[in-house]
Amino acid sequence: MNGFCHTLRIEWLKVKYYRSFWILLGIIAVCIPAFNYVIYDITNNSFPKVNGQNILGNPFSFPNVWKTVPYNAGLLLFIPAILIITLLTNEFSFRTHRQNIIDGWSRNRFISIKIMETIMLSLFVTGIVVLTCLYFGFHSQQKGNASPGWQQFRFIVFFFIEMLSYSMIAVIMAMIIRRAGLAMGIFFLYMIVEQFVVVLGRNKYKATWINYLPEEVTDNLIPQPFAPRMIAPDHTAFWEQHLPGYITIGIIYLILYILYVSWRFRKNDL
Amino acid sequence: MASILSLNNITKSYGKIQALKGVSFDVPQGSVFGILGPNGSGKTTLLGVVMDVLKPNGGNFRWFGEEPSDKQRRKIGTLLETPNFYHYLSGERNLQIAAAIKQKPPEDVDRVVKLVRLYERRQSKFQTYSLGMKQRLAIASCLLGNPSVLVFDEPTNGLDPSGIAEIRELIIELSKEGKTIILASHLLAEVEKVCTHVSILQQGTLIASGSVHSVLSNEEWLELGSANPENLRTLLNQFPGIKKTEESGDYLLVFFESSPDASALNQFCFEHGVVLSHLQLRKKSLEAEFIALTHNVSS
Repeated sequence: MNGFCHTLRIEWLKVKYYRSFWILLGIIAVCIPAFNYVIYDITNNSFPKVNGQNILGNPFSFPNVWKTVPYNAGLLLFIPAILIITLLTNEFSFRTHRQNIIDGWSRNRFISIKIMETIMLSLFVTGIVVLTCLYFGFHSQQKGNASPGWQQFRFIVFFFIEMLSYSMIAVIMAMIIRRAGLAMGIFFLYMIVEQFVVVLGRNKYKATWINYLPEEVTDNLIPQPFAPRMIAPDHTAFWEQHLPGYITIGIIYLILYILYVSWRFRKNDL
Repeated sequence: MASILSLNNITKSYGKIQALKGVSFDVPQGSVFGILGPNGSGKTTLLGVVMDVLKPNGGNFRWFGEEPSDKQRRKIGTLLETPNFYHYLSGERNLQIAAAIKQKPPEDVDRVVKLVRLYERRQSKFQTYSLGMKQRLAIASCLLGNPSVLVFDEPTNGLDPSGIAEIRELIIELSKEGKTIILASHLLAEVEKVCTHVSILQQGTLIASGSVHSVLSNEEWLELGSANPENLRTLLNQFPGIKKTEESGDYLLVFFESSPDASALNQFCFEHGVVLSHLQLRKKSLEAEFIALTHNVSS
C-alpha cells in the first residue's frame, strides 16, 4: 500500500503543474452537467405536452435521472479519452516511460499505475455523473415523490463500466500508436467505424452478434431513456434478458484490455 | 576485483538486423569502463538491455553479482541516449520526480543542480533549456543520491568545449571517489583521457575488451628532426634496438623493438656530430588503435 501511495504521489508530481491536464479535467467537469442541462432544456421546452405531460416523460426526475444523465454523459466519453491519450502519449513522446524504468521503476509498476489512473479518472467522471444526477433529480422532483429511487443506481455502475471500457480502448490506442494526434484520430475513427458496423449489421442483416462488439456492448448497458411509453415492452424485456450478457462480456473485454496492455508493456522494447 | 556488471553472451536483434552478437564482458568495481564503437555498433543497445528498456533475445547479465531488478537500477545513475524529461515542468520539478523514483531525498536536488551549474535556471521549464543545459540536467539526475555506479551514454553530446572539459573533470573526480563509471562514446580522445578499461564493439560484435593497457598496443616511437637528415639516417643504422625508420614530412619516425630511450638517442647523435633540432616521443592514439582494430575486423 505504501508503495502504491508513493507511486501515486510521483504521478501527481507529473500532472500537478501540467496546465493541459487541469483544462481537460475542467472541461469534463463542466461539460457533463452543461450538456445535460441542454438536453434538460430541450426535453422540457421543445416538445409538446399531452394532458400536461411531456411526451418524453420525466427523464430528469427520480428515478429516471439515474438512467438519463449517464446515457447523456456516455456521449461525451471522448473527452476523458483525449485526456488519457494526452497523458500517456506524453510519456512516449518525451521518452520518460524509458527514464522512469531506468531510474528504478519496474515495468509492472509503470503500467499498473497507468491502469490505476485510468480507473481513478473513471471514478472521478462517475462521481461527476452522480452529482449531476442528484442535482437534476432534486431540481425536477415531483411533488409527492421524494425518494431518489436508489434501485436505479445500477445505471451509475453501468456507466462506470462503459467509461472504463472507453478509457482502456484509449490506453491501447496510446500505447500502440504513441503519437497524441494520430492516436486520437484512430480512436475517433474506431468509434465511428464500429457504430457504422453496428447500424449496418442491425438494420440490414439483423445480426445480434454486433451487440457484443467492444464499444457497443457497454453502450447497450444504458438504453436510451427518453419517451419510455413509446418504447415497445418487448424491447425492454429483450434488454433485461440480455443485460447479464452485456455485463459479462463488457467485463471480459475490460480484463482482456488490462491483460493486453500489461503484457505489451512488460514484454516489448520501450 | 569484484564485477559490478557481468554480461554473458547477450544477443539482440531488430528484425533481421542483429544489433548484438553474443557480447560478454565484466566491468570491474571502481573502473572507468569505456564502451567504444562507431555509430550503430550496438553501444546504446547494450546499455538499453542492461537498464531493462530493451529485451535481449539471448544471454543474461548481472548487476552487483545478482539478478537484475528495479531495486538495483535505483542504485545506478544512468544517462541513456538523450535527456528524457517532462518538457512542461521545470528542471527542478523533473529532478524531484527522478529523486522520488530513485527513492532519494528531494533535498539532494539543490546539490546536484549546483554541481552541474544549473542552479540559477532550475526553475525554468525544461523546454526552454539549450541542448547543453538539457544534457547537464540529465547528468544532475544521474548524480541524485550519490550513486556508486554511473552509466553515461555519450555524456558530452551537445556540450561546448568548456562543458566537455567540465564533464571530463567530473568523471575523473567521481572516479577518484571510487565510483564505477560505464561510459559509452565515440569520442575516442575523451575516452582515452579518463578510462581505465575499454570494450570495443563493431557491428554488434565485441572485438576487444580489458584494461586500456592490455587492449591498446601502447606502441611508442620517436619523431626526429635535424638540419642534415641524410647524416641522421645513416647514423641511426648504428644505434642498437631500432626496428625501422619512416619519413614523415621533415621528420624521421624511428620505431624500436622495445620502449624508446629518447635521452640515450639524443646523446648518441650529439656525440657523433649530429644535432637534433626536433625530438618528440609519440604514442599511438586510441583513435589510431581503434581504427586499426575495427579495420582488421571489417576486412
